[in-house]
Amino acid sequence: MAKYLGLDRLGKIFQIIRQSGGIKNAYMKLYRFDDLKVGTLVGTDKYGNRYYENPYYFYGRNRWVEYADHLNLEYDGSQIPADWYGWMHYKTDLPPIRDGSRPKYKWMADHSENLSGTKEQYMPYSTTPPKVQAWDPKKSK
Amino acid sequence: MFRAPLTKVIQGRFGSPTHGITSKAIRSSAALSQTPAKAPEKIEVFVDDVSVKVLPGTTVLQACAVAGVEIPRFCYHERLSVAGNCRMCLVEVEKSPKPVAACAMPVMKGWRIKTNSEMTRKAREGVMEFLLMNHPLDCPICDQGGECDLQDQAMAFGSDRSRFTDINHTGKRAVEDKNFGPLVKGIMTRCIHCTRCVRFACEVAGVEDLGTTGRGNDMQIGTYVEKLFLSELSGNVIDLCPVGALTSKPYSFVARPWEIRKVSSIDVLDAVGSNIVVSTRTNEVLRIVPRENEDINEEWLADKSRFACDGLKRQRLVAPMVRMPNGELQAVEWEGALISVAKAIKDAKGAVAAIAGQLVDVESLVALKDLLNRNGGETLCTEQNFNVKGSGSDLRSNYVCNTTIADLEQADAVLLIGTNPRYEAPLINTRLRKSYINNEMDIASIGPKIDLSYNHQNLGEDAGLISQVCNGGHPFSKVLENAKKPAIVLGANVLERPDAAGIHTTVASYCKKLNKQGWNAFNVLQNNAGQTGALDVGYQPGTQAALKAQPKVLILLGADGGKVDREKLPKDCYVIYIGHHGDNGASIADAVLPGAAYTEKQAIYVNTEGRAQQTLAAVSPPGMAREDWKILRALSEILGTPLPYDNLDDLRNRIEDIAPHLVRFGKLESSTFGNLTEQLATSKSIENTKIDVKQKKLREYFMTDPISRASPTMARCVREVSGEEAKEESQRQAAC
Amino acid sequence: MAGREAVRKAVQQVRPILSVDREEARKRALNLYKAWYRQIPYIVMDYDIPKSVEECRAKLREEFERHRNVTDVRVVDMLVIKGQMELKETVEIWKQKGHIMRYWKESQDPKPTDFLSKFLQGVN
Repeated sequence: MAKYLGLDRLGKIFQIIRQSGGIKNAYMKLYRFDDLKVGTLVGTDKYGNRYYENPYYFYGRNRWVEYADHLNLEYDGSQIPADWYGWMHYKTDLPPIRDGSRPKYKWMADHSENLSGTKEQYMPYSTTPPKVQAWDPKKSK
Repeated sequence: MFRAPLTKVIQGRFGSPTHGITSKAIRSSAALSQTPAKAPEKIEVFVDDVSVKVLPGTTVLQACAVAGVEIPRFCYHERLSVAGNCRMCLVEVEKSPKPVAACAMPVMKGWRIKTNSEMTRKAREGVMEFLLMNHPLDCPICDQGGECDLQDQAMAFGSDRSRFTDINHTGKRAVEDKNFGPLVKGIMTRCIHCTRCVRFACEVAGVEDLGTTGRGNDMQIGTYVEKLFLSELSGNVIDLCPVGALTSKPYSFVARPWEIRKVSSIDVLDAVGSNIVVSTRTNEVLRIVPRENEDINEEWLADKSRFACDGLKRQRLVAPMVRMPNGELQAVEWEGALISVAKAIKDAKGAVAAIAGQLVDVESLVALKDLLNRNGGETLCTEQNFNVKGSGSDLRSNYVCNTTIADLEQADAVLLIGTNPRYEAPLINTRLRKSYINNEMDIASIGPKIDLSYNHQNLGEDAGLISQVCNGGHPFSKVLENAKKPAIVLGANVLERPDAAGIHTTVASYCKKLNKQGWNAFNVLQNNAGQTGALDVGYQPGTQAALKAQPKVLILLGADGGKVDREKLPKDCYVIYIGHHGDNGASIADAVLPGAAYTEKQAIYVNTEGRAQQTLAAVSPPGMAREDWKILRALSEILGTPLPYDNLDDLRNRIEDIAPHLVRFGKLESSTFGNLTEQLATSKSIENTKIDVKQKKLREYFMTDPISRASPTMARCVREVSGEEAKEESQRQAAC
Repeated sequence: MAGREAVRKAVQQVRPILSVDREEARKRALNLYKAWYRQIPYIVMDYDIPKSVEECRAKLREEFERHRNVTDVRVVDMLVIKGQMELKETVEIWKQKGHIMRYWKESQDPKPTDFLSKFLQGVN
């Protein structure tokens, strides 16, 4: 009966809000991610991104990331580091914190996100010297 | 097919001596050949059965040229002595058992020359085969490819099939490359030993650096010991070399001759006004080569004129600039720049002065004068000083080479006062050297001891010697007075001295005594291409008038000589620089208006003998730069006093109104009133101080103007030549 | 008879393209004008150009007025043929928006004529 009336869903909403840490926090989450889900915290990467899993949701939606708080709305898929990428994309079910077989070397570079659209993005430039070199009044001094 | 047409051999003077390579031998043999005789009878010869009448002593090659038949040649060059060692010019002469070398053999009466017979053709093919046997097959990577005499003649006269079987290249001659300096690249394996370069160096350039060592297959052209080819004319051996053995170092691997566009123009880096061809590709000046003009540069070109063209691509002004309140020049749009300049000129209310520099053309000079006169300014000066007292620059004959460049080679006694023509005008020096070789010319100089590339008498450095010579009290006065064609050459720098008036009038009145019918002995050798033109259109020489006026606005039209600086000007003076290079002028300016260099505009220049010639635009001015006269025309419109010419033709008409000779290009107008100089003289006193010349050593030759100062090639020349000169100096001291 | 006479007369002068006399040419021109005039609302709608029907009709008139002084019948005919071709291309949507907007030449700067503006723009 309750199921029929959708009351269980209402209960679920309250549960989600409680788990998210109150109405304000739930609203913030919804504001940031346009989504409000609960799940078990699988792990946190070194950049502060939190990874969740909840098999209640359909495959493909059952693993998600909540980006670090300081990123606010400036988050991007490329901020997920390579070691969590595999778990996020169902290449493996073992998250990196539980997978001891992953290689770790000193030379492995830190993760870098995609900088397109930011100030630091790469801009191609011409390397051919100009045919006529202009006079620079500052250099001549 | 050949780069020099043969016909002029006949029309020109037979001045070139026929035997010998060392200068002593040249001198005596030439003197003999020059002795005048009554017009000898012409003799008749037959070239391919066509009758030709020529003077006795004419060579077979010249006789064929008269008949319109070109004989292939490598070693023969009409401006050099005859060597006769390449054998390419072999022709058959009837009843002669062997073919004769046409370049060296004088014709005899009734000879029947066959230029296209079986024997001639076989001889040519054979010579070609021998030449190619030891010539590398590197045309695809050779800079001469496409303009190579050997390529052309191999196509025209060579055999159509090869007997060369040595595919392993065991026997081909290979020669170590030699370092001839920063301008000439020597790839000596390609050399065919025509010795044109050796003869040029000895005869025309007057440096005996080049020579041959070894015999036969081991013969090599070189400098004997490891040293550079130190000459201000070294670039000409590149043109002379019929193969790719001597090529241009800055131009190496740059372009092929069929890719470039050629524009005939005039050189402005010295006051000779040499005729040049500017080669361009994709709006870029790639190289400059000489163009023939018998009256001026023959077919030579000085190194600075030839190689400083890469300076046109460095240190350029490409956008108008205005000095901002923080004291820095900042690039602005034309409109803003012109408005701020116009405002400054308006505010000055007539306290405007202008100084014209070294490389200015007549068009911009006239436009600037018109502009200033419309805005109440009368002070227009040139950067280089000149005698202003007495008749000064009022009489044209006072500041030009009256003898004319071509006639200087007929002079038989020359006095150089405070000038080093070797570096101030290298091509005038070759004329003097020619006269020294052919006419037994006596030449003396007053000034520091310098190397003119020929023997001359140095009278001393004291300026008092000038009056001594001109009073007739000096031994050299006798030489001058007894000479048939005497000439005195005054350096432009001497007339910058405080006692310029004295020197000028003393020499001018002495020259009046020396003058003969149709011969004017008085010469001033200018060293700035713009100077004669500026004086012709009525500019005052010297910056002192502009500085004395204490102007509120000073316009520098390409004035980069460094004679004006901020200390000499009033504090609030607004300096406007119009020119093409960022140099001394632009760095002190409050507003910089970018103009066009000489390869970028059609403009009139007057050379030191007063010959007006025009440059043609080979490339467009870089960036936002505009032609100089157009800048002034646009400025005049913003000032509210528009100049009455919108295009070059109108401006040329205006110039014709001022001075008609300036638009008669290539013609020389003789100057009159030369004899009035003495009557108008104010003083004849000469101070007893030393006379100096600016360019004494080769290293001082290369950088004299904003273009050559910006040129990396010229900078390399200065570096390498200084090193070489220091090395020679230390060797000389070690030998002592 | 009269018609044939007229033809003969015209042939004597010049070979006509379409019209034999001015009146016929005028009719053709007017017909073309009418065809364009009626088509303009659809053109405005189909091509979605930022011009109103009135503006387009003003432009149509302007284009016709441009050749107001043409008197040669053959030239009129040729212009009518060209106009017809334009109309066909427009109506069949063989053109694109830019081709229609080209009648206004809004993105074309007029070439400078006096010295100063030539100088500032860097054209000779």
